[in-house]
Amino acid sequence: MTVIRPSDEYLDQPFWKHLAAGTLHLNCCNDCGGAHHPPSPICPRCRSFDTGWKPASGRGTLKSFAVAEHPVHPMLADQVPYVITLVDLEEGVRMVSGIPKGTEAALEIGMALQCRVVRFDDRFALPYFLPVAGAGEK
Amino acid sequence: MKTSIVGIGQTEFSKDSGRSELKLALEAILAAVADAGLEVDDIDGLVRYTWDHTTEAAIVNALGLDHLNYYGETEFGGVNCCGAVAQASAAIEAGLASCIVFYRTLNARSGVRYGRGERVLAEEDGWLVSRQPEPPGDIYSAPFGLLVPGQHHALYAQAYKGHYGLTDDRFTEMLGSVAVTQRAYANRNPRALLKDRTLDMDDYRAGRVITAPLRVYDYCLETDGAMALVIVSRERARGLSAKAVDVLSAGQYIFPGSVPMYLYAEKAYSLVPEAAGEELFGKAGLSPSDIDVAMLYDATSMMVPLALEDFGFIGRGEAQDFLTSGGNGPGGRLPVNTHGGLLSEGYFHGLNTIAEGVRQLRGESHNQVEAETAFVTLRGASSMILGRA
Ligand SMILES: [Zn+2]
Repeated sequence: MTVIRPSDEYLDQPFWKHLAAGTLHLNCCNDCGGAHHPPSPICPRCRSFDTGWKPASGRGTLKSFAVAEHPVHPMLADQVPYVITLVDLEEGVRMVSGIPKGTEAALEIGMALQCRVVRFDDRFALPYFLPVAGAGEK
Repeated sequence: MKTSIVGIGQTEFSKDSGRSELKLALEAILAAVADAGLEVDDIDGLVRYTWDHTTEAAIVNALGLDHLNYYGETEFGGVNCCGAVAQASAAIEAGLASCIVFYRTLNARSGVRYGRGERVLAEEDGWLVSRQPEPPGDIYSAPFGLLVPGQHHALYAQAYKGHYGLTDDRFTEMLGSVAVTQRAYANRNPRALLKDRTLDMDDYRAGRVITAPLRVYDYCLETDGAMALVIVSRERARGLSAKAVDVLSAGQYIFPGSVPMYLYAEKAYSLVPEAAGEELFGKAGLSPSDIDVAMLYDATSMMVPLALEDFGFIGRGEAQDFLTSGGNGPGGRLPVNTHGGLLSEGYFHGLNTIAEGVRQLRGESHNQVEAETAFVTLRGASSMILGRA
């Protein structure tokens, strides 16, 4: 799902510009190499202001999920039900994500996920995370 | 802390108050001051949430108060219900003021609703647009439809269910035990919004899913109204006719990723590190087993098992057994939310949670427990221990 986007002034920031170009990048520290999210002007580990951007591996695990059945806005009435996820990325950061509308996925806490960037127009794209094929099998 | 809560005052809980938030605030403040046996002109300090729509200036002007020596604001809303008491207490102990009113007023059903996305989104060119820097509804979560606190609580709930490997049935019984027990408390509480509506486990199971795994009965009530508390030094409290309740310990505890919505807190199935409880209990010289009754800020039912475990009232993963065996109910090991909670009494952003702790220690609860001590917390972000004076 989405009919919701950040306002235009945010879409000019690197996180969103990288997504619009097709890849998920994470804000990272040029001194200690750690990644952080949401983006920040300082590294929370070593407190260096020398931060930059690096492509994410796109690999993560499912920390939690919820299925919105009740639309909390009139414009979401034809969007429900939709799946919201919390994803812990390999780089040690947590992101909010979801499952794209129309995609079936059997979710289980702790399962492996892979990022898929979905573009909505030339300025706006979102990083969804989908189960890795076969990851649900035991 | 060396302070006491000497007055509690409120308007009715309603779905449509029919009056302004300022008028509601004034009614609550006058009621609280009268309850304390004090005069309005005794007020020389105010504490409020930054989310409150009224201001100190509006209150001072409306009441024609002679002057204030101190006014303070705490960030957010209910997150800081106990933090606001800590702040008022610190101000009193520092000599900045002698009689502080902490108030909250909100038309949260007929006005701005916390359960609605409209609070954080604007409509532009056929899109919904977020400009929020922080959750809920911030730019990194809103595009996925994560917009309101109740959806965040569904994420905590699913994380807990997954972490402990609870079956759907077991999980439903655990949260249902919170909702059903608290409704029964509310049925005996004439103030409660849902005093006339009973709820049993079959009703609970049949409840509409709002955000899975949470049902409609897991959610608090959007409410109109206002409440105020009067805080003075313990020494001054002893000279008043009011039934005082002592603040034994109160404080705030946040860490990276925690407030406002714990979205980035490491363990989504546990929201507070053990240090938070150790700090709070240590200052009061008590341990969890010394607590007689607990008021756990229940924006959703899920807050109850989390707080019971996070503060060491029970062991990790034991909430299902504790709650399904009635540990939170009348005569249970630790009665919880004996007013009916935010689920069934009403929702004044934590002030009615604190007030029920005060009533228990005064012996004025409609579900009275033999209590010398009461514990109050919002998700650990702010917490308090109260004692009978
Ligand atoms: Zn660094």
